Amino acid sequence: MTDAVRIDDASYETQRTAQERRKLLAPWILMLPALVIVLVFFGIPTVYMVRMSFNLHMDQRLYVPGFTFEHYVNLFSNPLFTNAILTTIKLALVASLATVVIGYAFALLVWLKPARWRLLFIGLALAPLLISEIAIIFGWWMFFPKNGLLSYGLLSAGLIHEKISLMYTEFAAFVGLVYVTLPYCFFILLSIFDGIDKRLLEASADLGASPLKTFREVMLPLTWTGILVAFSQSFIWTMGTYATPSALGPDTLWTMGFLIQEQMLGKHNWPMASALAVVLVIGVAAVMVVTRSMQSERTSFHA
Amino acid sequence: MFLLWKVVNDEGFLPLADVLCLPGRAEQECPCDPRGWSKSLTVSTALELRNVIRRFGTVVAVNDVSLNVSKGEFVTLLGPSGSGKTSTLRLVGGFENLDGGSILLNGQRIDHLPAYRRDTATIFQSGALFPHKTVAENVAYGLRMRNVPKDAIMKRISESLDIVRLKGFEARYPAQLSGGQKQRVALARSLAVRPAILLFDEPLSALDLSLRLQLRAEIKRLHDELKFTAIYVTHDQGEAMAMSSRVAVMNAGAIEQIDKPETVFHSPTSEFVYTFIGESCCLPVRVTSAGIEDKKGQAVGLRLGERLAEGECRIYVRPSRLRLISEAALLPNQLTARIHFIEFLGDLYRYHLKAGALELAADHAGSIGHGVGDEIEIGWRNEDMRVFR
Repeated sequence: MTDAVRIDDASYETQRTAQERRKLLAPWILMLPALVIVLVFFGIPTVYMVRMSFNLHMDQRLYVPGFTFEHYVNLFSNPLFTNAILTTIKLALVASLATVVIGYAFALLVWLKPARWRLLFIGLALAPLLISEIAIIFGWWMFFPKNGLLSYGLLSAGLIHEKISLMYTEFAAFVGLVYVTLPYCFFILLSIFDGIDKRLLEASADLGASPLKTFREVMLPLTWTGILVAFSQSFIWTMGTYATPSALGPDTLWTMGFLIQEQMLGKHNWPMASALAVVLVIGVAAVMVVTRSMQSERTSFHA
Repeated sequence: MFLLWKVVNDEGFLPLADVLCLPGRAEQECPCDPRGWSKSLTVSTALELRNVIRRFGTVVAVNDVSLNVSKGEFVTLLGPSGSGKTSTLRLVGGFENLDGGSILLNGQRIDHLPAYRRDTATIFQSGALFPHKTVAENVAYGLRMRNVPKDAIMKRISESLDIVRLKGFEARYPAQLSGGQKQRVALARSLAVRPAILLFDEPLSALDLSLRLQLRAEIKRLHDELKFTAIYVTHDQGEAMAMSSRVAVMNAGAIEQIDKPETVFHSPTSEFVYTFIGESCCLPVRVTSAGIEDKKGQAVGLRLGERLAEGECRIYVRPSRLRLISEAALLPNQLTARIHFIEFLGDLYRYHLKAGALELAADHAGSIGHGVGDEIEIGWRNEDMRVFR
C-alpha cells in the first residue's frame, strides 16, 4: 500500500516549498482588500491633503500649485487659530475624560449585575447609535433652550425659579459630545470587563482589601488598557467632530473642525484648511502614541 | 464611582473611616494578628454556625444548618451539586448575606462584617490569582492589606512558597503556571495571612485526576504539619474521606450526617448518606407472608438471615462486600442471580447480575469461571446490608 502513494524526493521537495510559499502569502492575500481600501481611500487623499497645505492661496482660487509655509506660519501665529487649537484640545480632553468615567461606571454596573439585566443595558447603550448625529442634535434643541425640556423639568421640580437656557453654551457642546462618544466607550470597556474573572473581586475582599483598595489594586490595573483605548477613541472623535459642538455650542466656540469648514466653504482657502487638518491629524496621532506608551508591557494576561 | 461600587455590591454603606481603612482603626479592629496564627486559646471552637438560613428567591439553599468546627479541625462539606455546601462556605467567607441564624468565629459574631473584615481565607475553584501580579505579589497581597511590615512580608512569602514547594517561582505570572501550580499559589496566598479558618471551595475539581490525588495528599500533609482549621467543600467523596477530621454530608440545604469519615462510611444514618457515600446497589422488594418478591410480584431467590417485617422496602448492599459462588455458601444472606454482563476493571471483575426485576453488581478479584447467562450464588454478611423503608 505504501508503495502506491510513494513519491520521489524531488517532487516531495517541490510540493513542500509550494506549501511554504502559500503559508507566507496567505496573510497578504487576506489583508489585500482592507489594504487597498485604506491606501486608495485614506492614504492617497492624505498625501494630497498634505500637498495641498503647501499650495499658494490667491484670489479665492481653489488650486494654485506652489510651495509655501505661509499657512503653517499663519496657523501658529494668528491667535484665531492657536485659540481654536487650544479650545478644541480642552473640549476634547474634558469630554473624553467625562465619557470614560461615565462609561466605566456604566460598564462596571452591567458587568456586576446578573446576566438577565445585561441585554436591557446593552440595548440602552446601543440606542444612540441607531439615530444619526443630526437627529440627536435636533433632540438637544428640544432639551436645552429656555422653553425646552430641561428648563421645564428643573422649574417643575422647584430647583429654579426662572426659566433658563443652556442652549448655545459650552456645557451643551460638552454634553452633546459625551452623548455621541459614550456608546463606543461603553462597549470597549464592557469587552475588557468581560475578560476579568469576577472571583478576583471576592479573592481581593477575602484577603482583606476594602472595595476602594480592590478597585485600585485589581480593577484599575486590569482595565487600564481598556481605559486608555476608550479615552483615545473618545479623544479622536471629539477632536475631529464638527457638527455637534458648532450646533450646540456658542457662536464663539471655534473648534478646529469648525475652522476647517469655514476655511473651505466660507473663505475658499483650501490650503489653509488642509494645514489645519494636517495639524489635527498629527495632534491625534501624538495622543495615540502617548496613550499607547502608557499601556503596560503585558497588555494581555492570558498565556 | 466608589458609591456606585458600593451600591452594586449590595452592601450597606459603611463609615468612611472603615472604607478607607485608616491605619489606626484598621489595626485596632482587624480581627487577625499579623504576627502569628490567631492565639485566643481559651476557646476551642474556631467556627460556629447557628441555625444558618440562606434563601435565593423561593429556593432555600441553606436550611437551618448548625455546625461547630474546633481549632485545627478539617471539616468537609460533602454533597451533590445544589446541596447548599458552597452556599454555606460563601456565607462564612462573607460573599453571601444570611437570611437567618448567626456565624461566630473564635467566639465573636462575624455575620454582620463584610468579607474584607473577616479573618477567613478562601481557596477558590478557579484559584482566582491576580493575573497582573507575580506569584510573590499574589502571596503578599493579603499581608499588605493587613499592614504587615515589608521585611516580615518578604519572610512570609518565602515561608509560604516553601510550604507549597514553589520556591523559585516568585517572579512568574499566573499565566506562566500550570493548573496545579496555580492552586498551590492560591493555597500559599491564603496560608500567608494565617487566617482563623481556611475555606476550600472545591479547589481541586478543575484539575485532572493524577494532579488531584497529588494535591490532595499535599493538603493533607500541610494540615498535619500546620494544624490549620479548615472547611473543605467538595462533591468528591474520595477527597472527603482522605482528608477530613469530620465529614458533613449535605442534602437539600441541610446536613444529613456529620461524623468521622469511617463512621459516615460504615454507619450511615440515612438512606441518602448510604447511597451517596461509596457504591451501592438497591434491591427494591416486597416482603409478604409467603416470602420475598420483586416489584412485579415474582418470587426471588433471596434468603435473609434476619426476618424482615412485611411490606415494601429497599435493601442496599455494596458491590465490594458481596461474595460469590463458594464464598457465598456460608453467609447468612444469599441470592441466586444470573450473570447479565461482566466488566473488566483492572484489579477486579465487576459482575452485573439480575434476579427477576432486581439488578445488582458484585466485584471479585479475578475471574470466577462463570460466563454470561450462568446462575450463581451471591452472599453477604448482616453488617454489610442496610434496609430502608
